[in-house]
Amino acid sequence: MKPSLLSHLQTKEAEKMTSLPSDFLGRVFFILQRYGMSYLRGAGTTLLISLISTLFGCIIGFGVGVVQYLPIEERLPWWKRWLLVLAKGLLKIYVEVFRGTPMMVQSMFIYYGASQLMGINMSMWFAAFFIVSINTGAYMAETVRGGLLSIDNGQTEGALAVGMSPIRAMNYVLIPQALRNIMPQIGNNLIINIKDTCVLSVIGTVELFFASKSVAGTYYTYFESMAIAMVLYLTMTIVASKLLRLWEKKMDGPSSYDLATTDTLAFTSGLLTMAPAKKKERRD
Amino acid sequence: MEPILQITHLKKDFGSHQVLSDIDFSVNQGDVVSIIGASGSGKSTLLRCINLLESPTSGDIRFHGESVLDSSIDVPAYRAKVGMVFQSFNLFDNMNVLENCMISPVKILKVPKAEARDRAMMYLDKVGMTSFINAKPRYLSGGQKQRVAIARALAIQPEVLLFDEPTSALDPQMVGEVLDVIGDLAKEGRTMVIVTHEMTFARDVSNRIIFMDEGVICEEGAPEKIFNQPVKDATKAFLQRFWNR
Repeated sequence: MKPSLLSHLQTKEAEKMTSLPSDFLGRVFFILQRYGMSYLRGAGTTLLISLISTLFGCIIGFGVGVVQYLPIEERLPWWKRWLLVLAKGLLKIYVEVFRGTPMMVQSMFIYYGASQLMGINMSMWFAAFFIVSINTGAYMAETVRGGLLSIDNGQTEGALAVGMSPIRAMNYVLIPQALRNIMPQIGNNLIINIKDTCVLSVIGTVELFFASKSVAGTYYTYFESMAIAMVLYLTMTIVASKLLRLWEKKMDGPSSYDLATTDTLAFTSGLLTMAPAKKKERRD
Repeated sequence: MEPILQITHLKKDFGSHQVLSDIDFSVNQGDVVSIIGASGSGKSTLLRCINLLESPTSGDIRFHGESVLDSSIDVPAYRAKVGMVFQSFNLFDNMNVLENCMISPVKILKVPKAEARDRAMMYLDKVGMTSFINAKPRYLSGGQKQRVAIARALAIQPEVLLFDEPTSALDPQMVGEVLDVIGDLAKEGRTMVIVTHEMTFARDVSNRIIFMDEGVICEEGAPEKIFNQPVKDATKAFLQRFWNR
């Protein structure tokens, strides 16, 4: 029985190789015909993981960056100061560890470590989102801190002077401006994530690279399979960066403004009326 | 009558450098107090201490008789009663003119939105900036920015207005439009403390002048007295230098 099975497999293999076209484009089309769906599914997984993880990474980054930005003021009660120092220290360790080690190593360390040490069987999906998010967060933390530092101190003082607490000043004035300032960096991170999710293949996430490698392994068509992967990666990154540019433009608002007319100037609450017309028209 | 603001033995050190030493003065309802003096004499620091943007090293600041340095005081609520206009305007860059004037009334003072809008429009009208409500600060000239900043400070309806060299960052052409606005406010009887280098303006608009020199109040009194018959040599020298400029 055994020899016949082996020979059966061998003929199968031979058939497979003979059906493969000999020219580059022919092979590409051949692969796309049979494995197009698995490529698309891989690309979809890559996109999903990078988008969601960039989003969560930004949230983590803002949290950590804001804490790192807060000054340790002398007028705070001692326990608040102590808590802040502790939080800053721990977050600093987090940033250093995740920025300072390769994501591929982290993936295996966390995925296998969790089941071996703590008996937690992480789902592969959860592990993928977790690892990429926490990595992005570590990078974003420093970016956010830089974004906050780049805002003129006058903005904070202006906010405090109209009665905002430091937290509200952060919410209404500093964070919106920091977000705008670091948009290019967020775009950078998204693009890096689209590419770097490929390291998740080591824990078995079937993203674009994993899918391409499987196809390549089946037909030994590494060049053609990876060419398809290259095109797909490039398409995703270019589209992502273009969309982010558009978003940036939208955040900036209109590049001009309309002078308000009397219609829009009408008082609406009925509590106040317009002061009598100015005797002296003030114009710059 | 009890003064709105009373400053006693106020001291401020930056490290080993003493910027303010033993400042005493008070501001009554309806007072327009101008603080003059050379750059580095501590005028701005004094104003920033009043608003707690700098924390005084020692001494006391009383607002309606209550110490604002007490740890139980609600600092943001106090600041909302003491409006401030800065040399560098400090309008919120992420908001347009109207939003700048509405954010604090709506979010902090919980004024209903329609009322806050009307209030903002009323003050913007006072400074002649109503047609610019949709503009972001980056599209405005310095004088326009400062007028909006004044409207923003008025919109929180403070009891005292502090002006920290409001015209020092403006070119001569724009100084006039801002001083006109402040002059109008003085005529309305608003309580104001103005740090300025505009001597003519200070003389015309204030009922009291404080001359500061090297961190102390050197001379204080009515404008006619300070500008026409100064007693101290430092005041004389300062004004001499100023008029001869």
